Amino acid sequence: MILKRNTSPTALYVHIPFCAKKCCYCDFNSIVSNQKMIDQYLDGIDKELRMLKSRFLFHTVYIGGGTPSLLSENQLEKLLDSICRSVLASEIKEYTVEANPGSLTMNKIGLFKESLVNRISLGVQSFQDKQLQFLGRIHSGNDARNTFHLLRDAGFKNINIDLIFGCPNQSPDDWKRDLEIAVELNPEHISTYALTYEEGTALTRDLKSRVVRKLDEYIELAMYKTSINYLRLNGYNHYEISNFAKTGYECLHNCIYWKNAEYIGVGVGAYSFVNGVRTSNEKDVFVYMSKVDENKNTTSFREQLTPGQYASETIIMSLRLRQGISNTDFYERFGYKIEDQFGDTIRKLTKDGLIHYDERLTLTEKGLFVADTVMTEFL
Amino acid sequence: MPTERIRNFCIIAHIDHGKSTLADRLLEKTDTITSREFRNQMLDDMDLERERGITIKASAVALKTVKDGKEYTLNLIDTPGHVDFNYEVSRSLGACEGALLLVDASQGVEAQTVANTYLAMEHNLTIIPVISKIDLPQSRPHDVLTEMEKTLGTAPEETLMVSAKTGQGIAEILDAVIERIPPPKGDPNVPLKALIFDSVYDEYRGVIIYLRIFDGSLKVGDEIYMIKTGRSFKVEEVGVFKPKMVVKECLATGEVGYCIANIKSIHNVKVGDTVTHKKNRTAEALPGYRQPIPMVYCGIYPANNADFHVLREALERLSLNDSSFTFEPETSQALGFGFRCGFLGLLHMEIIQERLERESNINIVQTAPNVTYEIVKTNNEVIRVDNPEKVPPLHEIEEFREPIVRASFVLPSEYVGTIMQFAEGRRGRYKSTEYLSERRAILTYELPLSEIIFDFFDKMKSATRGYGTLDYDLIGYESADLVKLDILVSGKRVDALSTIVHRKDTEIKGRKLVKKLKSEISRHLFEVVLQAAVGSKIIARETIRPIAKNVTAKCYGGDITRKRKLLEKQKEGKKRMKSIGNVEIPQKAFLSVLSVDE
Repeated sequence: MILKRNTSPTALYVHIPFCAKKCCYCDFNSIVSNQKMIDQYLDGIDKELRMLKSRFLFHTVYIGGGTPSLLSENQLEKLLDSICRSVLASEIKEYTVEANPGSLTMNKIGLFKESLVNRISLGVQSFQDKQLQFLGRIHSGNDARNTFHLLRDAGFKNINIDLIFGCPNQSPDDWKRDLEIAVELNPEHISTYALTYEEGTALTRDLKSRVVRKLDEYIELAMYKTSINYLRLNGYNHYEISNFAKTGYECLHNCIYWKNAEYIGVGVGAYSFVNGVRTSNEKDVFVYMSKVDENKNTTSFREQLTPGQYASETIIMSLRLRQGISNTDFYERFGYKIEDQFGDTIRKLTKDGLIHYDERLTLTEKGLFVADTVMTEFL
Repeated sequence: MPTERIRNFCIIAHIDHGKSTLADRLLEKTDTITSREFRNQMLDDMDLERERGITIKASAVALKTVKDGKEYTLNLIDTPGHVDFNYEVSRSLGACEGALLLVDASQGVEAQTVANTYLAMEHNLTIIPVISKIDLPQSRPHDVLTEMEKTLGTAPEETLMVSAKTGQGIAEILDAVIERIPPPKGDPNVPLKALIFDSVYDEYRGVIIYLRIFDGSLKVGDEIYMIKTGRSFKVEEVGVFKPKMVVKECLATGEVGYCIANIKSIHNVKVGDTVTHKKNRTAEALPGYRQPIPMVYCGIYPANNADFHVLREALERLSLNDSSFTFEPETSQALGFGFRCGFLGLLHMEIIQERLERESNINIVQTAPNVTYEIVKTNNEVIRVDNPEKVPPLHEIEEFREPIVRASFVLPSEYVGTIMQFAEGRRGRYKSTEYLSERRAILTYELPLSEIIFDFFDKMKSATRGYGTLDYDLIGYESADLVKLDILVSGKRVDALSTIVHRKDTEIKGRKLVKKLKSEISRHLFEVVLQAAVGSKIIARETIRPIAKNVTAKCYGGDITRKRKLLEKQKEGKKRMKSIGNVEIPQKAFLSVLSVDE
């Protein structure tokens, strides 16, 4: 089999693991920490970035967390400088920073504006305080609105709003109201995530001890359908399972993941994918910092994908995109057509109305709702 | 060793009354093994036996001891304690002149104690009553002494008190074995007559026969002849167990030991057969034993059809060491190619199944067990049915017969009512109640075997807080109003889920079974309908609602590996399922009928 080498990773991810408070549903790599530790950590990031310098030409940068906006102005300045030195400004098409309404100030917004940052992803989750409290967020619905306006006033023309649906006791009307407020604000991009019960989170412990009850699957489905219909009606394209954007504002960085293309991750627990090899940095922030400090390799996990795994992953990830994957692209990368390997699967799933297959392989709407079940068939 | 200084004995006891521990103490006391070699419960060979704390196969060991300046050889033949392995008890008894009858000082006389004591009496063995575990705080040796006198007819003044834990009474046991049990009677000068009381298969040496020499002697190079099977072999090695095999030149009259004779398969040896010399044969054979017949059958299938041959080899390997386990190829529409396997009882079935999975590393699907039925067809032909699938259509059945057992429960008197109610609910016929003492009773019922093979034992145990015990004997077949209960999954009949039930129970069982199946089968993308039916009449129905939403909300760079692995795991899980039509049924579902609640 011919495995075409991608030219080079074009996406850079930088992880900031610090939070003011851990949310009950969150299983991301995040910790509550002090200033000194953050300073040390940023030294580490700087060092890791210097080692990459000039090896890659990045088109997208994404600073995620954690809560990047939690950093002090000085710390932010340092981080943005480190990144600035590692990229070629003229090549950058999209530069996103994740921010929480509670921690974003005018000065920080100013710093973003002065650097290359051109997209802000705002962790709103809900505009209703009842929901925010349940989720353990430290901001209010009003904070979210105000922060959004600050960003607009500062001139940000590409803003994403993250929302969560499917909380216990959330009604379909509550959810509809959140969507309405979001649409009123008129961001370029909206992500709607179904609340997920991840192992090891406070939320899952509450579920197991029956402090909370999961929302009925059918209600959750109804909410999901509401998002799709309502946002579509208001000019947002449903381009990925959980993501909606106005035309031309699809998140370039995240599309790299969904196309299973190459990327570089910097910081604790960050993943990189280069030449069919996926690696991850140390997941423990102290171990990570001491390794960077001692100039040791920070990799703690490495997997070389087999050609079969590479192809399966590519199909599975691409199916998250509503446009799916084109057979031409697949052939380019793997040297055979999807049907050559998954002919029976494609026939079966097509018959069941779950996928559509011609030049492109895509999920039907029916398939979209049970995407995970469909995806197992492509392993 | 002259025969008057040999004693052959066994220990009979209920499970967990301390038989193996006592055996261990006897081994230690006589220096048969050094403490360095000591693994607790020396006589239990298989890991499974050790884990479950029960003895499955009989085993033998020669103990040397000195009394009044004379050396004696005491051959201890171990016996299994579980009801499923009763036939193994009787074959051990046949090789002995005496038995230690062991009763737990706190538990008292149990169902198997009674059954095995009667067996020992039938074999004319000298019985040495022993009360064990007298060191435990809850022990009540004097009550137990009375119980034993009353039910087993043992003399209180002859009863020994021991604690295998502290060693108290162990020396007295050795003395009693020498003083009370008669030496073997045989004649060394007549032709060889030896009893095969067990055999095991060894990968390197072939079959190892366990022998008791009644007359004559056996040495290396002898040509032996087995009277029942008519087969001849040349002896390569003889020896005794100490407890490891120790080679000897000759096994003399009265001795217990082993013989290796280049025998390739355990099926060439019949336990209970008489061994004699080929040239100089003994005139009459020993009485031998009744071949145990499987009481319980189930289907065993490879989860993956391609593993059929691997499964066959694994079953063959197991049967090398267990002649009471039978298997025959069969096919199921639902499960493909597999085997119908016969077992002595439910414990035997569980042990075989566990060994299969442990030793052969294949995923198996097992169907619910059933007993063997007899059906008289309208053309007067009588057929035996060991698989519900073989039940002929209703109009061809003249009479449906099922096996009936006599079950005796030994239990604290306060539970008599509970167990009676329980047995009545299982179509039991009350026979009698006898009181062992004010506090304990023997309750006797006649019950259909099918009613006790599933969960009866566990249920009885929990209903009596662990104090009740059960023993049963097959007494014959009786006509009953039985029907085949079928299960349909999305309209398709699944043969492997059919069971035979009493007509009055069909509705309740059908309802519970489909409910149970509903909990075992995961949701599909479409609705799955489960139905229970007798003939063409649907008696119960459940539906499994389809998956509405199953989609991971977030998946970014770091999640991709995790996500792929998660999906791979789901796919792996699916592989272990059987696909009926397009419904994936997990292995556990085929055993649903076992755990349908009362």
